[in-house]
Amino acid sequence: MNSVHLSNLSRRNFLVSSGVLVVGSYAYTSGFNPVYANSTRTLSPSVYVAIGTNGVVTVTCHRSEMGQGIKTAVAQVVCDELEADWEKVVVAQAEGDAKYGDQNTDGSRSIKNFFMPLRNAGAAAREMLVQAAADSWGVDAAECEARDHAVHHAASSRRAAFGELAHAASELAVPDSPTLKSRETWNHIGKSRIHVDAKNVATGKAVYGADVTLPNMAIAVMVHAPVLGSSPLNVKIPESAKKNARFIGIETIDATPGPIGFNPVGSVAVIAADTFTGIKVAEELEIDWSDSPNQDFDSDSFQQDLREAVKSPGNVWHGVGDASTVLDGAEEKIEAVYETPFLSHAPMEPPSAIANVVGDTVEVLAPVQDPQTTRNTIVSAKNFALKNVKVTPTLLGGAFGRKSKPDFVLEAVELSRRLKRPIRVQWRRENDLQYDYFHAPSVQRYEATLGENGMPTAWRQRTAFPSIMSTVAAPNMVEPANWELDMGFTNTPYRCENQSIEAAGLKAGVRIGWLRSVCNIFHAFGANVFVDELAEQAGMDPIDYRLAMWDGMDVVQGALPSEPGHEFKIERLRNVLQKVRENSDWDRKIADGHALGVAVHHSFLSYVASVLEVDRSDSNYKVTNAHVVLDCGTYVNSDTCIAQMEGAVVFGLSAAQRAKLTFKDGTIQENNFDGYLIARMPDAPSISVELIDSDHLPAGVGEPGVPPVAPALSNAIYKAGGGRRRSLPLI
Amino acid sequence: MSITVNVNGVEHQLDVDENTPLLWVLRDHLALNGTKFGCGRGLCGACTVQIDGTPTRSCLTTVAAVSGRHVSTIESLVDQQPDLIEAWVDENVSQCGYCQSGQLMSAAALLATNAAPTDEDIDFAMAGNICRCGTYGRIRKAIRRTAEARR
Ligand code: FES
Ligand code: FES
Repeated sequence: MNSVHLSNLSRRNFLVSSGVLVVGSYAYTSGFNPVYANSTRTLSPSVYVAIGTNGVVTVTCHRSEMGQGIKTAVAQVVCDELEADWEKVVVAQAEGDAKYGDQNTDGSRSIKNFFMPLRNAGAAAREMLVQAAADSWGVDAAECEARDHAVHHAASSRRAAFGELAHAASELAVPDSPTLKSRETWNHIGKSRIHVDAKNVATGKAVYGADVTLPNMAIAVMVHAPVLGSSPLNVKIPESAKKNARFIGIETIDATPGPIGFNPVGSVAVIAADTFTGIKVAEELEIDWSDSPNQDFDSDSFQQDLREAVKSPGNVWHGVGDASTVLDGAEEKIEAVYETPFLSHAPMEPPSAIANVVGDTVEVLAPVQDPQTTRNTIVSAKNFALKNVKVTPTLLGGAFGRKSKPDFVLEAVELSRRLKRPIRVQWRRENDLQYDYFHAPSVQRYEATLGENGMPTAWRQRTAFPSIMSTVAAPNMVEPANWELDMGFTNTPYRCENQSIEAAGLKAGVRIGWLRSVCNIFHAFGANVFVDELAEQAGMDPIDYRLAMWDGMDVVQGALPSEPGHEFKIERLRNVLQKVRENSDWDRKIADGHALGVAVHHSFLSYVASVLEVDRSDSNYKVTNAHVVLDCGTYVNSDTCIAQMEGAVVFGLSAAQRAKLTFKDGTIQENNFDGYLIARMPDAPSISVELIDSDHLPAGVGEPGVPPVAPALSNAIYKAGGGRRRSLPLI
Repeated sequence: MSITVNVNGVEHQLDVDENTPLLWVLRDHLALNGTKFGCGRGLCGACTVQIDGTPTRSCLTTVAAVSGRHVSTIESLVDQQPDLIEAWVDENVSQCGYCQSGQLMSAAALLATNAAPTDEDIDFAMAGNICRCGTYGRIRKAIRRTAEARR
């Protein structure tokens, strides 16, 4: 981890108001990148710790909270170094501002990128408090110690609470490189903490996007074009609506020409005094829409195009030996094609955003994953001065990647600008499914020949899917990007002396975006099922087979260089696999009627192995148990890591079992949860999670639990006698 | 037209279209925002409230249909079943939390009629409440924990 200094922090960052000490810290952050990758890093201040004279510590969380527990984790890290009392800590949500450094809360990187800056902030504040106490007592700071929210001087048995010291400490210079606590003395990091919002959630007091009401606010219920690229031509308002005093009017928004990006799509907004009036009128509008080049888009034929694409060579990303000659000349080869469909994020909270444009200023309150990108997008799309745009995230009622795209916020800004009053845009579930930034459908084709020992002698893998870049960057960026392929494809741990790794991209007629664990979903699926197929051919146990393939391997290299300290180590992959073998009692004689399937995957710099147990007697192969082992390096909130693995199993099961979206004539066919089938309580297995204790650098937690789920289920179903299922959804 | 509804023990006189779903009356007219909108079609359970103790999807229930009956929402649960809320917090159930009001109202209704729910009972009672974050296992635990503590 790069060292972080506080020295160049200007005096102005120390907001001493009514005796409050505020400490800023600097973080290394990356510029815009849709998911995660190494990119140019810039320095910017990232986090603030304030200590009031009443002793209350306020930690400002600059990342968005969407259920991953980041508010709690950020506070844990700061409080640990600060030696603060957990009960005296409150967490505030930061608005979008470059001074915080990167705020793009996706790619499972909040702790990975900010662990050190947060520790430095806490440690700097601690040293300042200690110095203030030492000064007031006329002793050497080295004789004093911070502990339990106070500074102590053992020799004279004196003690001063943090609150008493806050004002004096705020007058001191910020230490350049504060001394960090040693790992053995951590008292919050690595411990289990209840989420700071838990009580508010359980009493209905937590505030999400749609829970904010501003004076004179109107509601905008959106009717979006059935096809991407269409704009409203004519709108007929029903007579009943015209008589309804709570109906205010309609506004039309044309499809934004040029790259899709985060721009609003064509729509009619129904403006009303309340949501129900808006919904009712929205359902009764008769709208003519313009033609669109996407109006023939059909997901079945698109899937067929993807199938065709993997039949011929793609761009070769990795080639060693001569896979083609071996494979084409082989008498016997194993070949399999794996497929996955369009998926939607479908967070429980449909998109919603509040904007209040007053003159040349705009204030936004919305459940956004990236308030800075939201802010910058408003600036560039709507011609506001940056300083006049304020974006504050509310809590996010789930996001999974959806809410890092602020198209719905831009709608609110545009409508508020036109109507000159605060507007809350409310999407219905139908809008949410229709205009998601969809998880890409994909096809993978794997071919291999095996030697006498059962190990591959030649290996070719091809992937085809629509790149996210064709939506968020430029329409002609059709080829999969390196960072998409380094999600389980070009960085595959399954290597062979004759190997070809190839990729092709196709443009879809709908928006493509990143969904929790992104391309890892389909790449982990293909790889883990194919390896199971090879193991069977070789007459070996699937876990033994993987271990044998990794024999003698050290580091896996992908298309992108690894971040320092974050090499993909086979040793760690092997370790989680061996652990899950023990935890699931893999080698036991499984009770009649049950079967186990395994998968293991490295993503977001973490390592996860999962074993699922299915009930054979159930025609739907109900998953009864799941065992997960996670190595995410150093972790902050142990219980959050466990919860994220549990959630990932369920999220992964939705995709594995029943979720699938289809398009005909450019229009989505599944409109609500009766068509898009999400895992429910009876689908949820009993889940056990082991968290590996590790002193490696912190890595991702929110996403890496998802990829192994679908292949583990496919492999379990095969063991249960359900045949090889190579296409999601499996049931 | 004017309709009288009793929510959390308080009578409200409302001038709304009688077909307005209870969900939107709670949220837009009574500022009781704990009840959430997830699907609007009775498919997700985010809007679950209790009507005379029965868990009900407020997005499909018109305000006219609850006139003269007792509606209780998440905001009153802390008075009705504080131990259930405590169990929810202690098990660190919620992730994003958006579904949890509905989950709690369904769970509370289950526990009110079944002091010792089995896993099958829980599956059955909670199947209408989606949690996209996947907190089902912890919901089960919190329900069992509450039931056991009450015995
Ligand atoms: S909003 Fe009522 S069931 Fe989904
Ligand atoms: S906690 Fe997020 S949907 Fe249930």
